[in-house]
This record gives sequence, C-alpha cells and structure tokens, in this order.
Amino acid sequence: MKRALVTGATHGLGCAMAALLVERGYAVIAVDRVAGADRHGVSDLVCDLADRDAVDRMLPRLVGAGPFDLVVFNAGVSATGRFEDIPAEAYRRLLTVNAETPMVMAAALMMAGAVRGGLCFVSSLSHFTGYPGAAAYAASKDALAIYARSVRKPFARHGVSLTLACPGPLKTEHAARHAPDGADESMRLEPAMAARVILDAAINGRRLIVPGRRARLVALAGRLRPQAVTRWMRRLVFERLGRAVW
Amino acid sequence: MSKSAPAKTEAQTEIGLRPPGMTDRVMITGATSGIGLALANRLSPRARLLLTGRRSEDAVRSVLPEGVAYARADQTAPESAVAAIEAALARLGWDGLDLAVLNAGTGFVGDPADEPAARLRATLDANLVAAVLITRALYPRLAAARGRLVLVGSTARRGAPDIASYAASKAGLNGLARALAEEWRGRVEVRIVHPGPTATAMHAKAGHDPGRLGRLFAPPDTMAMLIERAAASDRPATTLSFARFAWRRAPKPR
Repeated sequence: MKRALVTGATHGLGCAMAALLVERGYAVIAVDRVAGADRHGVSDLVCDLADRDAVDRMLPRLVGAGPFDLVVFNAGVSATGRFEDIPAEAYRRLLTVNAETPMVMAAALMMAGAVRGGLCFVSSLSHFTGYPGAAAYAASKDALAIYARSVRKPFARHGVSLTLACPGPLKTEHAARHAPDGADESMRLEPAMAARVILDAAINGRRLIVPGRRARLVALAGRLRPQAVTRWMRRLVFERLGRAVW
Repeated sequence: MSKSAPAKTEAQTEIGLRPPGMTDRVMITGATSGIGLALANRLSPRARLLLTGRRSEDAVRSVLPEGVAYARADQTAPESAVAAIEAALARLGWDGLDLAVLNAGTGFVGDPADEPAARLRATLDANLVAAVLITRALYPRLAAARGRLVLVGSTARRGAPDIASYAASKAGLNGLARALAEEWRGRVEVRIVHPGPTATAMHAKAGHDPGRLGRLFAPPDTMAMLIERAAASDRPATTLSFARFAWRRAPKPR
C-alpha cells in the first residue's frame, strides 16, 4: 500500500488532500496541532509545528512510519494587518511553521531515506505577487518556494521529485479569517478542487502548479509587472484590512 | 547630488550621498567584517553610526571606524539580538533612525539532503527571523525620522542547490521588502539590494572554497559603494550581479 504524509491535514486544503489520497488508496499520516475527526485510512500524529522540540521528538517516529511515496508540506499560518501591529511572537511562530519546520522535516526525511516518491511544498500565490498587509507571511512563503526550487536537483539525485504549489485564495476557514472586509468569496477556489490539481501535479512530479485559471492569470501578471501587481495587492488587501489577525 | 535640503523628507532621500552633515543616525547590522564593515567605513565620516555584530566589543573594537557605537547582537538568537539593539538605541538616546542597513547574514555550503536541523535553523534565524523582528522593532524610530530601511539580500535568492537554506532566507527577505515597500510607502522607504559574490570571509566561514573564481568576486569596498547608491535610488529592488560590478571599483581612500 502506498503511503503519504500530509502536514496541516486537519483543516482546509490539507484535509481535502488527505481525503483524496485515501480515496486513491494511500495510507495517510496526518500531522497537525490537533487531530481531525476520526477518518478512515488516516492516522493522526499530533504535533505543534511551531515547537522545535516537539518537531524534533516527532521526526524519528515519522521516519519510522515511512518510506513515503508522497509528502505534502501544507501546514501554514498567517498574520494579517499592519506589519508593526503584529506581536513578535506571532512572527516567530509563523516563520517556524511556514518555513523552518517544512525545511527541517524535508531534510530529516531525505537524510533518513524515508522518501521514495515525491515531495510537495505548498507555498502561495503571493510568491508571484507581493503581499502588503502580510509581509511576514509573504516572506515565509517566498522562502519556502525558493527552498523548493533549490533542492530540486540535489533531491532528484536521490530519486525524489519536487513540486512547488502556489495556490491563491481558497474557500477555507483560514482564508476567511484573514481576508479583508467585504472580500468576494466567490473569487476563492474550492479546497477539494485545489487539492486534486495539486496532488495530480505532485504525483506526476511536475515542478510548479498554480491551481485555478484566475490564480494563473494573477501569477502571470505578477511575473510581467511585479510592482504594479504588488500595488494592486495593496489596494485589494492592505487598504481594506480591519484589525490585525494572527 | 549635492542638494542642501532643509526638509527632512528631502534630506533622507539623499542619505549617504549628501555632503557631510553628521546629522544622520545610521545603524548597520553585521558590520564587523565584509560588506557591513566596508559600508561602515564609507559612512563613518558622514553619519553617526551604531554597528552590530555577534562578537564581543573587545574583539572587534580595533577593526571598527573610530567614534562609532557598537552593540553585540548575535542574530542566531533573534529575540536577544532585538533586545540588545533596542537597548543600544535607547542608550544613545536616538528617538529616530534615518537609515538602517540589515546586512548581517550567515550560510553554510552543503548537500541539502544532508543539512542538520541546527544549521538550517541557525541560517533562517540569523538571516530571516532576526531581520523580520529587527524591522518590526525599528519601525517607530524609522517612522519618526521618515527614515530608510535597506535589506541586504543575495543574488542566490532565486535558488541555489548547495546553499538551499541560505537562498531560502534571502528569498524571504525579498518577499518581506517587496511587501513592506508598498505597505510603508510614504512612511518609511524600503529598499532591498541583492549583492553578487563578494570577496569576504563569508565563503570560508560557509565551508566554500571558490578557487580561482574568487578572483572575479567584487571587492567589499566596491560592493559597499554600489549598495549605498542602490539604497539612495528610487528602485525598490536592485540586483548587483557580476555584470554590475565587474568593471567598477570604489576609488581608493585618500
């Protein structure tokens, strides 16, 4: 039986990916801060991914549960608002969960030879656009995206493929919590749809996947006119943000 | 570029390029060697400087320009580095900051499939987490002076297989600068500069021997000169790759 590991699998996109993987016959190890409701085919491993000691304690157990045919680093948190209004602890937490822990986990799994298929890092559409109002989040997602690009060749030497996923806004609790007032929810992609597209790409070893036609257009615009698109993001997000949320 | 501008907003756009006034309050992190020290040497005749580094003051005093303030701030422990910097700024009585150059950085060369967690964490802490937290802590002083924040990235920010976590940390800085430049527009000017290979001790510290290629690296003085220019320009991001520095050299000090 094929084995998959998904982080941040209790809610949102990760939850949709875990469900889809079970449907496709994978045994899924789900790592998250809280366990999900009892799901057939999913074993929960509870770990606060912002806690270095907890991550270090979990890693040997994770290696023991491998080797994995697919690993999806999906867990992420955000912090939106004026950059200076968000507490330092929230930034520390965010950078650890979004950037440090997936890198540490990937390196540890590779070192132990616990991956035999594909790795997928879930970054963000903000990698192509800039994200005023969520500067530290943008920083963490850019860091993760470039880590993914950097390790592609070295990991390929171990027979492991690398997929970078950059989803735009999804219809998840996470997105609703951080969206500016009056944001149009119909612009967001269904998590199940994004999950399917991202998993197909990861299983096939595609390098980059931006799910959704609208998101791909935004990514293209961001590549062609980075400054104009970042300015547009300022009007769309930063200028409409209410209080800071982290 | 020798405008004499009384208004503060005018003055700060000229920072580093205007004639000596000794009025600017400038902080440079990682200023005890390499590009940071070269930059400190360039600016010291024209500005009041607070320099930081991870070594003790006794160990570095002899290499620093005369008359500068120094704070020991080891960025592999970002929270204590922030505390040390805030304490130093308070001691100096600086309620505003005209220019902050976040230059400190560290990195290790090696196969990313073999990178120990401690090394990865140290790289991200020193280069990215500390920069985010220092930027946050400096905001009130930068805003008070309508000052300028300059982040020192790297041409590796687009990805580099043998320095993966370093490249990631510098990409993170790029994302931070891109967002903040827009967010803080009209309050604090934000710039990011991405230097290419520079002949500093960093390569040796990182466990990398560039061999004969090292002769093509930019001298730190030249890189500091180009960074100073980029910081004063209107472009939010400047990449100082080989093509930009190959034919330039900073004039020898008189």
